[in-house]
Amino acid sequence: MSTKYEKEAPSYTMTTVMEEAARCLLCHDAPCSKACPAGTDPARFIRSVRFRNLKGAAETIRENNAMGAICARVCPTEKYCELACSRTGIDCPIDIGGIQRFVTDYEEQEKMDILRKGDSNGLSIAIVGSGPAGLQTAATLLQKGYAVDIYEKNEKAGGYLRYGIPEYRLPDEIVDVEINRIVNLGAEIKYNVTIGKDVTMADLKADHDAVVVAVGASEAKMLPMFEGNPYVETAVDFLARVKEAKGDIDNIPASAVVVGGGDVAMDVATTLKRLDVKNVTDLVYEEFDEFKASKKELDATQKAGVTIVDGYVPTDVDGNTITFKHRHLDSEMTIKTDLIILAVGQQVNTDNLGVNTDHGEVQHAGYKTDDEKVFFTGDIAQGDKTVVWAVRKGKEVAEEIDQALLGGNK
Amino acid sequence: MISKDLSVEFLGVHFENPFLLSSSPVDNCYEMCAKAFDEGWGGVVFKTIGPKHFKINEVSPRFDELTKEGTPFVGFKNMEQIAEHSLEENLHDLRHLKDDYPNKVVIASIMGTNEEDWETLAQLVTEAGADMIEMNLSCPQMTSHEMGSDVGTNPELVKKYCAAVKRGSDLPMMAKMTPNITDMVPAAKASMAGGAVGIATINTVKSVANIDLDRKVGLPIVNGKSSISGFSGKAVKPIALRFLQQLRTAAGLEQLPISGIGGIETWQDAAEFILMGATTLQVTTSVMQYGYRIVEDMKNGLMHYMEDQHVEHLSELIGVANKNIVPAEDLDRDYKVYPKIDWDKCIGCGRCYISCFDGAHQAITWDIKTRRPSIDTSKCVGCHLCNLVCPVGAITTGEVVMKPGTKGNPEDVQIESSRLTHPVQ
Ligand SMILES: Cc1cc2nc3c(=O)[nH]c(=O)nc-3n(C[C@H](O)[C@H](O)[C@H](O)COP(=O)(O)OP(=O)(O)OC[C@H]3O[C@@H](n4cnc5c(N)ncnc54)[C@H](O)[C@@H]3O)c2cc1C
Ligand SMILES: Cc1cc2nc3c(=O)[nH]c(=O)nc-3n(C[C@H](O)[C@H](O)[C@H](O)COP(=O)(O)O)c2cc1C
Ligand code: SF4
Ligand code: SF4
Ligand code: SF4
Repeated sequence: MSTKYEKEAPSYTMTTVMEEAARCLLCHDAPCSKACPAGTDPARFIRSVRFRNLKGAAETIRENNAMGAICARVCPTEKYCELACSRTGIDCPIDIGGIQRFVTDYEEQEKMDILRKGDSNGLSIAIVGSGPAGLQTAATLLQKGYAVDIYEKNEKAGGYLRYGIPEYRLPDEIVDVEINRIVNLGAEIKYNVTIGKDVTMADLKADHDAVVVAVGASEAKMLPMFEGNPYVETAVDFLARVKEAKGDIDNIPASAVVVGGGDVAMDVATTLKRLDVKNVTDLVYEEFDEFKASKKELDATQKAGVTIVDGYVPTDVDGNTITFKHRHLDSEMTIKTDLIILAVGQQVNTDNLGVNTDHGEVQHAGYKTDDEKVFFTGDIAQGDKTVVWAVRKGKEVAEEIDQALLGGNK
Repeated sequence: MISKDLSVEFLGVHFENPFLLSSSPVDNCYEMCAKAFDEGWGGVVFKTIGPKHFKINEVSPRFDELTKEGTPFVGFKNMEQIAEHSLEENLHDLRHLKDDYPNKVVIASIMGTNEEDWETLAQLVTEAGADMIEMNLSCPQMTSHEMGSDVGTNPELVKKYCAAVKRGSDLPMMAKMTPNITDMVPAAKASMAGGAVGIATINTVKSVANIDLDRKVGLPIVNGKSSISGFSGKAVKPIALRFLQQLRTAAGLEQLPISGIGGIETWQDAAEFILMGATTLQVTTSVMQYGYRIVEDMKNGLMHYMEDQHVEHLSELIGVANKNIVPAEDLDRDYKVYPKIDWDKCIGCGRCYISCFDGAHQAITWDIKTRRPSIDTSKCVGCHLCNLVCPVGAITTGEVVMKPGTKGNPEDVQIESSRLTHPVQ
């Protein structure tokens, strides 16, 4: 039995997935497919489901998106494909993520092995970082015949798939399966190696024909007033700790305060509730009408029983007692709590990596640097900071490298 | 993406895959056929070409559909006859299709009113470069009784017209049969005697699909009236498969080459037709509903099926199921199999209870408190109606028992079935 923390939402059965697929209008020039950042082509795979070709549906997803089973679970579909869905003209959009999850589960259940390694072209690429961007870059390059080495500073691969997104939304097992597909294609993952520290960029460049920096925004931001406070933990540290322990952590607090109003804050607050923390209060800088978190995440968090207070900023902290003031109203509140979690954003660290970022991303479009051997991708490149965009950027940087090294020819 | 050889040989002609547009509005002109070829169809049976003297004048509107609950197009009714384009246009299109798509198969469907028509049309389409001829002996809504299914149900006429076509052309020729007949075998044999080398079937089934309740007229309404006319689509698939079986098991027709038609929409339908003896497959209604693109999933799904079956060529699957469909008197009637209910899967809807009481043998008892059904084996006849109505697949096949007075070992009985033993859920 999985715990409340681990438990994923139920998925479709063959009957119910057909019912959902039957709602699809099989649009001409389908808007959902145009709205998928990674080109997963939902209209195409839903049509395959509709015509009872589940294996073909799995091929479409996998060939277009090496993180297909992950995107099925974590994509903010309401911003992308489902936002565009024509069915909205009748009632509500097709549950594209749900259908994608059913198909990729089927793919795994049937032990399908869809991706094929390209004939070797003798070239080798180093990828720094094994988040979704690095993984997709690897998958695309391997299919084109490149050899790929991935360098990861952590003990396990996956970046925020592994250490950020909570188990109940993205089971570890799914992350393993997706990474194994890429390892089976031929990716070599080297763990516990921090590039720029343990190994230099110069070394990587000497051994490879190109280097792709895909380090994401893997460090938590701290607010000065909380520095060194023993009651304080950052959101990503907390989420990683809980995920690694599969929810089985020591000293579950009786109450917790979360500071921050993005999707990460929602994940932290919901995780705390799933761990049976009695009082979880989330204080958010933005007011509800300017909220950063997606509507879906916000609703789920409120449903989980989290108290969300909007418009407040922390002004003072004394040990486990924090004072907040409203941004516009004359209002102040003081909360004493067992655990303070800061979800105020993540930051990029590209020290010694030959890539310059500002405000979390490289300040020019595309994936090239001044050094013709060095490319970058993922969250540090311009565009949305989501998994599906990481996939898109991974596909695109792989094409750019292929163009640069081989002019796109095999 | 899987890639497998789907090619078949049919009446001496090579098809890159067995999927053909059947003769109908889906392949009315060059542009349509070209788009279909580009999207992956293996061939077309061009919209039936008639003699110059027979003027086509169609009604408007001309279609109706049968629905059930939320599902449209369970079946489809049409009141259309043969090609509206002129003979010259059609011949021109055939010629250009063959020029531009030499590897695709272009079959000319023709229909005459007398021997001379048939012979002339055969000659003309042969000159235009068609690879094969299909004789339309089966349209049920022609405005002349010299044409269509009135001819196809008359073996003498069938033979005579087939012979006329043979005089006009050396191309391989198949006769398209009507299902509006009790036994198709005499007409099929007559066509072979006249020179046909294969059979295409089925054409549409004569029907009145719906009645407009306020106006008291069948649908579609043509200025206040309607007619009996052809029915097609998913609902006719069982009728088509039955005719395939009867043809392929008739003495002397065991190896009959068949182009299977009727309700094909998915790779599973296609596989069923192949297992029942079809070498090529023709499609209209599902293309009218969804477009040429459906061929992508039919081809891809069929390739996966071949892979799962460890088959390299479709020819290995043709007619494999024919031997397993036997006369009713030859079935084993010595045993029954009880249903088995999985109470963990059961959601307590009671549909099995209602159906068993009202439509079977009152063999399910219903616990009002727990909302769970149980089987009373003293009453259960093992019909498995309950299994079919359960919405969550909680009912499967259970214990096999021999009937009193019969010998035999229940363990030797083969009850495995994709429907009942592994209900979809
Ligand atoms: C809590 C949380 C929840 C999220 N939920 C969602 C969601 O539901 N849906 C969604 O689409 N997106 C979500 N995101 C965002 C998403 O996870 C990121 O956009 C995505 O992971 C970015 O991918 P990436 O490969 O660029 O970077 P990352 O996933 O950050 O991976 C970077 C990798 O590089 C490694 N690395 C860093 N520096 C070095 C170095 N010097 N040497 C070697 N390795 C290094 C890191 O250890 C890490 O493994 C969430 C993020 C967080 C934090
Ligand atoms: C609108 C319509 C027009 C048709 N016209 C012809 C025709 O001209 N010649 C012919 O041989 N069959 C004709 N048919 C019959 C189809 O070719 C086919 O045999 C039948 O529809 C069954 O296949 P389906 O279930 O895939 O539609 C027509 C069918 C429809 C629906
Ligand atoms: S936009 Fe919506 S209805 Fe149209 S094809 Fe895509 S999922 Fe189906
Ligand atoms: S389907 Fe086309 S030809 Fe037919 S009525 Fe509609 S618009 Fe006219
Ligand atoms: S039909 Fe199925 S789910 Fe409904 S009561 Fe019967 S066994 Fe249970």
